[in-house]
Amino acid sequence: MNPKRPKYNLSDTLAAWGLIAPALILFIIFILIPVLAAIGLSFFSWNFFNTPAWIGGDNFARLFSDPEVAQSIGVTFEFVILGVVPTMIIGFLLAVLVNANMPGVGVLRVLYFVPVVVSAAVSAVLWGFLFDPRQGPGAAVFRFFGATAPDVLNSQLLATPALVVIMIWGGLPIVVILYLAGLQRISPDLYDAAALDGASRWRTLWSITWPNVSSTTLVVLVLQIVGFVSGALDLALILTKGGPINATRALGLYSYQEAFASQDVGYAAALSVLQLVIIVSIVGVVQAIIRRANR
Amino acid sequence: MIIGKFRLGRYTAITLVGLAIAFPLFYLLSGSLMSYSEISSYPPKIFTSAPQWSNFSEAFSYLTARTILNTFIFVFGVLLLQLAICLPAAFALAKIRFRGSTALFVLFLIPIFVPVNLLLIPTYIVTFQLGLIGTFAGMILPVAGQASVGVLLFRQFFAGLPDGLMEAARLDGANWFQTFFLVALPLARPIIAAYSVVTFLTAWNLYLWPLLAGPGDETRVLTVAVAPLATSQFTNISPSVGFAAAVIAMVPVLAVFIAFQKWFSRGVIGSGLE
Repeated sequence: MNPKRPKYNLSDTLAAWGLIAPALILFIIFILIPVLAAIGLSFFSWNFFNTPAWIGGDNFARLFSDPEVAQSIGVTFEFVILGVVPTMIIGFLLAVLVNANMPGVGVLRVLYFVPVVVSAAVSAVLWGFLFDPRQGPGAAVFRFFGATAPDVLNSQLLATPALVVIMIWGGLPIVVILYLAGLQRISPDLYDAAALDGASRWRTLWSITWPNVSSTTLVVLVLQIVGFVSGALDLALILTKGGPINATRALGLYSYQEAFASQDVGYAAALSVLQLVIIVSIVGVVQAIIRRANR
Repeated sequence: MIIGKFRLGRYTAITLVGLAIAFPLFYLLSGSLMSYSEISSYPPKIFTSAPQWSNFSEAFSYLTARTILNTFIFVFGVLLLQLAICLPAAFALAKIRFRGSTALFVLFLIPIFVPVNLLLIPTYIVTFQLGLIGTFAGMILPVAGQASVGVLLFRQFFAGLPDGLMEAARLDGANWFQTFFLVALPLARPIIAAYSVVTFLTAWNLYLWPLLAGPGDETRVLTVAVAPLATSQFTNISPSVGFAAAVIAMVPVLAVFIAFQKWFSRGVIGSGLE
């Protein structure tokens, strides 16, 4: 401690706590207590109305014997694998495309950002129709080629990829915005040096641009992982209700159904904890990979 | 000449890709004005030949003015409450030296990577126990409590303000509350604008929490009213009326976004940075 610096002053401390108190109170009641409650409730059996009964690790033991858990973990990974990397790559390439210092590009960029205003509910109305096999432009494309349109949202094979397409479309604007900010931080000297070396445009993109936005890539990856592990919840709930035959029911939706349809709150809480463990491990692995790649 | 051609190619690429990305939204707007036979016709139509404005009155009477009012109450409730709690907290964490300030900041940051959907069930339980399900308080308070991003963003901003500014005000006899309101807050207007646009969009588009916390007519918001119109739900409402309802639900955020797009980008970049 530097002896010259004054000690903590009581009136400062009181003022600080006074300024922080409103945020802290709401934060404790609606974030901290729920987090702790989720962990705590996973050791109880509870249906919202009876007295919670302590059952120890039974809910966690059930996770391992429940075949629907394994199935919904599979669906969760399907969302992550189909969604995260394509969103990142497409977002990066689009940002490179619109990162041009030309008049009018600022206005054109709005076209890239505008899907951000679309909520899951509006998206479901719009894409539900575009994926409709009987009518509308989606069905027409297949009819034009003399084929019958597949009922994608009712197909066990295609429903998850269809939801992923909707999520990528809605998620791209944020990724493009983040990458654009990253691209604009790259020093022009680097490009001049590459041009002097006679590097091709693809070569420059891969060896100059991409490595210099790696901190953005990490942020994008974390956001997308969290988004695709959990974010399929509202779209799947509206468009497929987790079906057909649970094909689009990721862990989050399974947990939601256990809580609100089966009123098995303790088991739902255990499923939430499992979901958190999965997110933390994927993010941890991704961070480790990126750190190693940057070394 | 070569440079000119290259630029033309770049413009063309940017425009075509942009149009492809925005096409579903154009189609939503144009489909909301089609008759049922037009929207389901083959070959499909991109533009309507006879705008059916009645779709909008039909959609409006389905959605009701009450739902629109509820949405504004919910969104502005969340936004104003978040600003009211995050700004003073962030200021204190950035500018006042007191025991425990680092620990408190870390506490606020912990949930930043916990997905909101994970907290859905436990938050519902807490809100249920407090007797707030079915009320605006129950819808607004838990969302406003998600203060992590706001506290982080504003703290970064306040930390960047020169300490001398605060010290001068303090020497003039201002207490910390006055220093916050009269010195720091007016300077924070740009960052408040950026955060507000992002929060407005996020809150307006929330679906699951308002569905769980306030599904009744007195509290139902637009997303909750619009979701059942998705065609996979086999409603007896024409898809074009469903489109019109979706457009009504989207127009306020679209307007806010187009008017404040620069602020939106700043807010996203600010909260995306570690």
